[in-house]
Amino acid sequence: MNVITARLLTALLLVSLVACERRPPEYHEQLLVFGTVVDVKLYGVDAKRGAPLVAQLAEDFEYMHETWHAWHPGSLGRVNQLLPSGATFAVGPSLLPLIKRSQELSARSGGLFNPAIGKLIALWGFASDEPPSGPPPTEAQIRAILDSKPAMTDLHLDGINIRSDNPAVKLDFGAFAKGYAVDRAIERLREAGIVDAVVNAGGDLRAIGRHGQRPWRIGIRHPRGEGILASVEVEGDESVFTSGDYERYFDWQGKRYDHIIDPRSGRPAKGLSSVTVFADQADLADAAATALFVAGPKDWLPVARAMGVSGVMLVDDAGNVQMTPGIRERIHFEMDEPPPVVISEAL
Amino acid sequence: MSGANGTRDFDPATRTRGDRVVVIVALLLLATLYGLFWRGDGHGAEAVVLVDGKRWARLNLFQDQELRVPGARGESLIRVQDGQVRFVASPCTTQQCVHQGWLSQGGEVAVCLPNRVSVRILADDPRFDAINF
Repeated sequence: MNVITARLLTALLLVSLVACERRPPEYHEQLLVFGTVVDVKLYGVDAKRGAPLVAQLAEDFEYMHETWHAWHPGSLGRVNQLLPSGATFAVGPSLLPLIKRSQELSARSGGLFNPAIGKLIALWGFASDEPPSGPPPTEAQIRAILDSKPAMTDLHLDGINIRSDNPAVKLDFGAFAKGYAVDRAIERLREAGIVDAVVNAGGDLRAIGRHGQRPWRIGIRHPRGEGILASVEVEGDESVFTSGDYERYFDWQGKRYDHIIDPRSGRPAKGLSSVTVFADQADLADAAATALFVAGPKDWLPVARAMGVSGVMLVDDAGNVQMTPGIRERIHFEMDEPPPVVISEAL
Repeated sequence: MSGANGTRDFDPATRTRGDRVVVIVALLLLATLYGLFWRGDGHGAEAVVLVDGKRWARLNLFQDQELRVPGARGESLIRVQDGQVRFVASPCTTQQCVHQGWLSQGGEVAVCLPNRVSVRILADDPRFDAINF
């Protein structure tokens, strides 16, 4: 062994030692709350600071879950009991902003995101902890609810008081509460001085800041089969929400019925298998993911524009992918054979 | 070759067979450690199983095995094979956890909510910080 080799080896050893320099801490906890799994990642935060913060988030999520639950007894349950009477009554303070914000987003979506169709969702059996076992409801049953046109515009808020014009209105925030809750969690983290974090509630997430020297890396699961369809890097402040027909469904006599109900037909929305929405707020991303799923593969673009989302990727029933130009530049397919992609007009 | 200070550390003439063995063993060790701990491809070598949010087991993904994990409703069956892990069976009606299939990338996670059992791939620098599904 000559001197040069020896020096090279020494240099290599020193480089390896430099690489052993301690990285900033990262606090990661998985919570089984809100009827789902909530992942919280805090960069540059150690366990001493992170653990009590996440414990607080867990309490918040549990509280929101009980308050906003569509079919468990709680604040929303009480509101749903009182609404059909047509009387004016006071709403709990935690429910009021949720109703206001969902009214606004429902209007922007042209009614495709419609949390007032709780009766339809229950009729299909999706307002239950267990998946429906079928059979699907009859046309007459669906028609009976559709004809009474439940909508968020039937609700009238005055201060803390609420009244419904339409006895058919039953609120179900299944397509919205998770997004709203993620926003509240991010708010609370920011109040505590957290700059870099991801809150991922059952696959729907909002990320702020970055992961040290790099952005946050997000994988998007394939709606059919297994594994990851694509990945995207996120930093600053962005929400990424996916709605899919694979999340909740039931099979009846060889036909699949998924949980996203089209308020126009009263039946499960058709044409898409998943919609991923990028937006600056999680509640908007959540509501928009449902609205675009309902709009379908041909008509989603105007709805996306009206709702004000920043990017869309969707996968149709045949596995073809459509996306907005800005997202095409950011998406990296993780499959050996990437699917066919159609780039839409700009938002 | 002697150094300026007169040491003969690297003089091939005086190197014994023992020296060579030491150098070779050191290099082999370096290569092995690099392979074991410096996996920069985002794949995980370990997974963690949580029950009700608490750590229940830590699994070496390169040691094939099957685990019966007692959850809230019954036993979830988790299989480790060839550096991957998956739910094979679970006492839930939707079977979403089983449909998630094999996990291998750092950050990937599968959860059986009704049984409150989850498995996640650990990695030093995970391929994904979060999975959207």
